[in-house]
Amino acid sequence: MSAKKIPSNLKYTVEHEWADVNGDIATIGITDFAQSSLGDIVFVELPEVGDKLEQGNTFGVVESIKSVSDLFTPFSGEVLEVNNKIVDSPELLNNDAYGSWMIKIKISDKNQLKNLLDAKKYEEHCETSH
Amino acid sequence: MELKKTSLYDKHLSLKAKMVPFAGYDMPIQYTSVKDESLSVRKSVGMFDVSHMGEFWVEGKEATSFIDSFLPNDVLTPPIGKAIYSPLCDNNGNIIDDLIVYKVRADKILICVNASNIDKDWNWINSLPKPSTVKLTNASENFSLIALQGPKAEEVLFSILNNLAVKNLGYYTVAELVYNNESVILARTGYTGEDGFEIFCSHKMAQHLWDKLLERSVVPCGLAARDVLRLEAGFPLYGQELNNELTPLDAGLKWTVKLNKNNFVGKSALEKYNSKYVQVKLILDNGIPRPNYKVENASGEAIGIVTSGTMSVILEKGIALAQIDKNKNPSDKKYFVNIRDKKYSCVVTTKPFVTGGHK
Repeated sequence: MSAKKIPSNLKYTVEHEWADVNGDIATIGITDFAQSSLGDIVFVELPEVGDKLEQGNTFGVVESIKSVSDLFTPFSGEVLEVNNKIVDSPELLNNDAYGSWMIKIKISDKNQLKNLLDAKKYEEHCETSH
Repeated sequence: MELKKTSLYDKHLSLKAKMVPFAGYDMPIQYTSVKDESLSVRKSVGMFDVSHMGEFWVEGKEATSFIDSFLPNDVLTPPIGKAIYSPLCDNNGNIIDDLIVYKVRADKILICVNASNIDKDWNWINSLPKPSTVKLTNASENFSLIALQGPKAEEVLFSILNNLAVKNLGYYTVAELVYNNESVILARTGYTGEDGFEIFCSHKMAQHLWDKLLERSVVPCGLAARDVLRLEAGFPLYGQELNNELTPLDAGLKWTVKLNKNNFVGKSALEKYNSKYVQVKLILDNGIPRPNYKVENASGEAIGIVTSGTMSVILEKGIALAQIDKNKNPSDKKYFVNIRDKKYSCVVTTKPFVTGGHK
């Protein structure tokens, strides 16, 4: 796992989601490690704008040809935007996992940041996930 | 228990395959991408290491009649050189395994069985009454097996073996040939729905052939692609569509049960048996069905389960084999798969999802 595939400005979950925090808005997607482990991604199911999410709960599903994986939200909060481009073209996640965001949420409790991994911790986590 | 390795294990590692435990073996599930591997078989040619499969020799002048005595399908009538697919059943007609019988010679017959069922099948067949002239050998550890599948399989294999048998071999037939002073059993069978071959040979020969095939740009394909391809072809898999609680009549294999032939193990049970299930093939407009998802009728009542489901690479749609309770099979033929508590409508097809070009 090369460090350049784990951007240092993002926060991570142990389930391999990333979050880009800007003020009280978090942009969320899945990591390069996740897309690579999944293989060809063929289906994505996301929540709707306005849905309320709880940190650690599932907010959607990503499926490869042979597998189904839940998506876990890094923060509690309300869904502000959904990227329907990746619902229409799930392969975008394989091409560019960090460039293909899934949802934007309004963070309800910024203290939840402490439950997430920084890039260094996430890299260590990936190494033990092999 | 330590995982067994096939003769091609080092080749898989050098190709950086993702390896997984399967039926006691460390097997390649994927090399590059399930999609690319599956498409190579549909459009060109791919190869699979399926050396984990089991092989039994049945030898002697009564070999054919012995095999015919315990399989529901007819093994006596087809000529020497034919391959015959059959379930293997117990006395109740329940399925122990599914297998292929290769009539290599009149007195030398090869049976290929599923890797996970080798010991079970071997013990069962040995427990049956058999003529003293029949000799049974479990040759599973002696054989490597490469499946070469796809529309270009014949052309590629001929360029290596340089033997007309490759071209003359018809669908579901077998021939024994000599290559590099070694006996090779070549069968025009497979598990993908495409034209192709299964090559039973020594471990050393398998390593040699694998390299020759790689040189000719044959795409190595893992077990994941194999599962997608067999499902697209509508072929059952033991452990999913087939198991010991079902008879062939429950699992879409009525065509393999020849009740008009001489006695065979399970015949009297199957003659009386009222099937509990029907098997249907479903295509979804949206969503991907997975094993154990519920199948429902139009009013939302559960009527069966998905036994195998995937995204079809070639159709780009979700496909499933499903086991439907016979007394709940809807007359309107409207089926829905329940995916995460949402209903997805299906189209039923009686044909394979994909039909490849058989010679």
